[in-house]
Amino acid sequence: MRYLFRRFQRLVVVMVSVTFLTFLLVNVLPGDVAYEMAGMDSSEEEVQAIRDELGLDRNVVLRYLDWAGGILTGDWGASFINKEEVWHALAQRFPVSLELMLLAQLIALSLAVPMGLISAYRPGGRADRVIGTLAFASVSMPSFMTAILLIFFFSLHLGWLPATGYEPLSAGLWENLRPMILPALALGLVEWTVLMRTLRAEMIGVLQENYIALARAKGMSDARILLVHALRPSSFSMITLLGLQVGRLMGGSIIIEQIFGIPGIGRLLVHAVNTRDFIMIQGCVTLFAIAFVTANFLVDIAYAWLDPRVRLERARG
Amino acid sequence: MSEPLLTVENQRTAFATGRGLVRAVDGVSFTLERGRTLGVVGESGSGKSVLSRSIMRLLPPNARSSGEVRLGGRDLTAMSEKALRALRGPEISIVFQDPMTSLNPVMTIGAQIGEVLTRHLGMSRKAAKARSVELLASVGLPQPDVRVDQHPHQLSGGMRQRVAIAIAIACEPALLIADEPTTALDVTVQAEILDLLARQQAERNMAMILITHDMGVVAGRCDDVAVMYAGRIVEQASTEDLFRDTRMPYTSALLASIPRLDDPPHRKLEAIAGRPPDLIHPPAGCAFSPRCRYADDLCRSQPPALEDAGRGHRFACWRPMTMEAAE
Ligand SMILES: Nc1ncnc2c1ncn2[C@@H]1O[C@H](COP(=O)(O)OP(=O)(O)OP(=O)(O)O)[C@@H](O)[C@H]1O
Ligand code: SF4
Ligand SMILES: [Mg+2]
Repeated sequence: MRYLFRRFQRLVVVMVSVTFLTFLLVNVLPGDVAYEMAGMDSSEEEVQAIRDELGLDRNVVLRYLDWAGGILTGDWGASFINKEEVWHALAQRFPVSLELMLLAQLIALSLAVPMGLISAYRPGGRADRVIGTLAFASVSMPSFMTAILLIFFFSLHLGWLPATGYEPLSAGLWENLRPMILPALALGLVEWTVLMRTLRAEMIGVLQENYIALARAKGMSDARILLVHALRPSSFSMITLLGLQVGRLMGGSIIIEQIFGIPGIGRLLVHAVNTRDFIMIQGCVTLFAIAFVTANFLVDIAYAWLDPRVRLERARG
Repeated sequence: MSEPLLTVENQRTAFATGRGLVRAVDGVSFTLERGRTLGVVGESGSGKSVLSRSIMRLLPPNARSSGEVRLGGRDLTAMSEKALRALRGPEISIVFQDPMTSLNPVMTIGAQIGEVLTRHLGMSRKAAKARSVELLASVGLPQPDVRVDQHPHQLSGGMRQRVAIAIAIACEPALLIADEPTTALDVTVQAEILDLLARQQAERNMAMILITHDMGVVAGRCDDVAVMYAGRIVEQASTEDLFRDTRMPYTSALLASIPRLDDPPHRKLEAIAGRPPDLIHPPAGCAFSPRCRYADDLCRSQPPALEDAGRGHRFACWRPMTMEAAE
């Protein structure tokens, strides 16, 4: 119980600071939504009238409180530009971004875990050096570069996968996955290296432990020692990182959604920023913050599964 | 006469380190018959653990090993890693010094015993679990049916060492190595664990190598005792002979460090003066000569060989002590 309460406290702190900072930032950006609404060739008076109507000249703190009060009562507001309900817009695009990020992490993990295991098995050995070089190459390439290379090779050159587009799940699983593969790869290829290095480092330590020596003395095979005895106690840092990476992943997905034309939160946000549609910006940012805190909550649950000692403390707490 | 269970011949194990070659085990030879107990005694760093890992062929990558280790007629040094794995558990097993770190923190007790049974005896998971409970009961763990599903952190040090013993005896090995099995435990628990080991050994007719730096542990529990110094055996005899007729000054110094019942409480143990030798640049003559009060020029220039003085009493010393001198 106390544990859940602490989690909730953290959620509130993250939410308030993130949303308020965004509010301030949008406020200091040159230009505002009134220009956008009034149209290209409108007079200064017309713009000012809209400003007055929306209360844009009021104190920024008061306006923030107004907005926050709305959120608390379940009213996320509506876009100034096209009057679309923020909540509705988010609900439509969030699953798209979520799918992209989950696929990206899945790709990152399925590269990081086997590579980390192989590297840690013989640190400094040939496999370790090859993997280290691969990791270095892929981390030194920003995700948009990877994206462009992937498009060039798999879409333009080989013609295997589409370069842009999105299909809903209702169009069929494969139809839905096909256009997601390249963008998820572009994101995942950046993220796997940190996960792999973290796992490798922790596992090298674990492999020195007495209980691993005992597993060897019990006649267990190397594969079993790595997978059954060493992997779980070596994953703590990697799992923590998995939660923290969600932040970076969201940043990355904004760019990737642009490049691949994926109608997710990232695209929604970029459009909202361009039009200074601050209600929509606030909505996107709030959702990002919720997603971040939730991801880290899930990490905590994974921790409890990984480490029975944590489970015990939890039961007591 | 048939071949002894274990024959170690001229085993040398050195580690390549940045400072040079560490000669941790430097030409050790001995034999062990089925069902017998050999005590191996020596100060910290004398090579006892490296010797036990050399016997099990579980050495780190930087180790250089030579010599011969024969178990039941097979030369372990010539076997493939795969063949060795099949022996570890059913033929030879080990109990480590520190029960707090030798069990996997994220696996249940049952899983850690059970995997030995499924791996080596081909038991089903269910049968292995039932057998695990029996084994836990046989090593005197209370509530074995509850403990089997618990994790190591829910058990005390003494209980964990019982679990480690249950793991070690699960496949009824012919040889059990106990590497300082009680050093990390309370004095009262120590005696219990040693008694448990002795009982299991007698019941299953296992041979045992009991490693310790405490001569007191060895007395009464071992058939024979080998004393190690700087990676070598410097004296070996039946326990009785070794205590009664100590020949090597280092053994005598170790014996003097046993606390006696009639000692006043809290008497400081008589540590052996001087530091253990450098294993990278060992002394030219007898490795003990810098600390030995009988050392002379011969001792300092020529290493004494380990020689049999009759009745299997071996020692390496230029000026062996007589009974009177040991008094
Ligand atoms: N992997 C290794 N690399 C380098 N040196 C090592 C390695 N393992 C052991 N040594 C060295 O070998 C020597 C013998 O160590 P060992 O662990 O056998 O001593 P021990 O007799 O078991 O002592 P203790 O009573 O403290 O357990 C020590 O000097 C130790 O530092
Ligand atoms: S050989 Fe010499 S130095 Fe070595 S133990 Fe015997 S008397 Fe002491
Ligand atoms: Mg040791």
